[in-house]
Amino acid sequence: MSDGEQTEPAADEDTADADNGSAGPSESEPTSRMLSNYGIASTVLAVLSVAAVVLGVFIWSSHRDDDAERTYLTRVMQTAADWTGVLINMNAGNIDASLQKLHDATAGEINTDFDAAVQPYRQVVEKLQSQSAGQIEAVAVETVQHDLDTQPGVARPVVTTKLPAFASRTDSVMLVATSVSQNVGAKPQTVHWNLRLDVSNVDGKLMISGLGSIR
Amino acid sequence: MRNLWRLLAFDIVAPLAAIAALLMIGVVLGWPLWWVSACSVLVLLIVQGTAVNFWLLRRDSVSVGTDDEGPGLRLAVAFLCTAALVAALLVGYTHWTTPDRDFKADSRDVVQVATGMAEAAASFTPSSPTSSIDRAAAMMVPEQAGPFRQQYAKFSADLAQHNVTAQAATLAAGIEALGPSAASVAVVLRVTQSTPGQPPSQAAPALRVTLKKHDGNWQVFDLMPINSR
Repeated sequence: MSDGEQTEPAADEDTADADNGSAGPSESEPTSRMLSNYGIASTVLAVLSVAAVVLGVFIWSSHRDDDAERTYLTRVMQTAADWTGVLINMNAGNIDASLQKLHDATAGEINTDFDAAVQPYRQVVEKLQSQSAGQIEAVAVETVQHDLDTQPGVARPVVTTKLPAFASRTDSVMLVATSVSQNVGAKPQTVHWNLRLDVSNVDGKLMISGLGSIR
Repeated sequence: MRNLWRLLAFDIVAPLAAIAALLMIGVVLGWPLWWVSACSVLVLLIVQGTAVNFWLLRRDSVSVGTDDEGPGLRLAVAFLCTAALVAALLVGYTHWTTPDRDFKADSRDVVQVATGMAEAAASFTPSSPTSSIDRAAAMMVPEQAGPFRQQYAKFSADLAQHNVTAQAATLAAGIEALGPSAASVAVVLRVTQSTPGQPPSQAAPALRVTLKKHDGNWQVFDLMPINSR
């Protein structure tokens, strides 16, 4: 910050005093010593100030990063929740519009193979047939992920290694949701969803890049 | 040349740095009313002092920074400026760095405790029926452990009768919400139940573990299924 300059004048003062001292020690010794003491004190304070400013910049920037991270993860969860909201509220009546909406928010592999990826979910919706309403029960950024089928008990880092080339980062979000079909006269059917969504940052826009069931 | 440096440092930079430090404290604290008033008074004093200083500079061609007769006042200016900057630093550290660090440590601990709890509560071995409930109850808030044990006893008696072994492992876990002293974690388990003579069955229940911070330790407050409907 601005008072970075403060060290220099103080140091300047010191060297000037030292010069005085060497040039005429007998004449200017009392003033020089007095100035020198003040000069030293000022230099110390200036160094302290500069250190405080530098540390302050560190504190500020790390807090800003942490804050941005939390805001980002909130956005990730919101994106995943919005997307899932459309997915679990699909009805036989709005299935095409919903799928289009879902497709538009995806990126990468899931975008190109969209029909295959949503096939199981589409079947569920077609099975329900009726006016069904879905509700998201829990949303969380996955911090623990165990792939029990391949490597039992070994934790994987949150950010998957197969990061798509177009995305700057990908986070996994876990969602727990329930759909209840409200079919008049029939027994209500309940479907539980444990979903894992990969949310990628594509040029600042959050896109869904992976969809799976946690089983 | 030397005077120019001193003028710049003590008459211009020092008051500006002090004002910047005071404003920074306000930003970190989020401008509470008391600081708004304290800060305005202090800034006004600094501005007044600087104005008087420059008025004297015009009149006498000497300022606080360049006055050879007043080194003490100069030191006082440097001291006040440093004090303001150090104060801003300390406020920033206690209000930003420490909570951020706690948040990260809490995020880690909370998930660890929650997954341990969920796994312990969903596991059951007929040969030692109380081992996993003991493990789970040890992680709970003491006043909640009793009711939880009773609830579990009913469930485990049923399992013991049929000689069922349940083995739970975490598939996924994440933090739903985290505050300084309370948290909620979602855990999806894979529970494998096996009965002698029958093929094992698998289920993936989703559980919500709520936690409270007690004396710096996270303890489980409650454990419940997320989709209970």
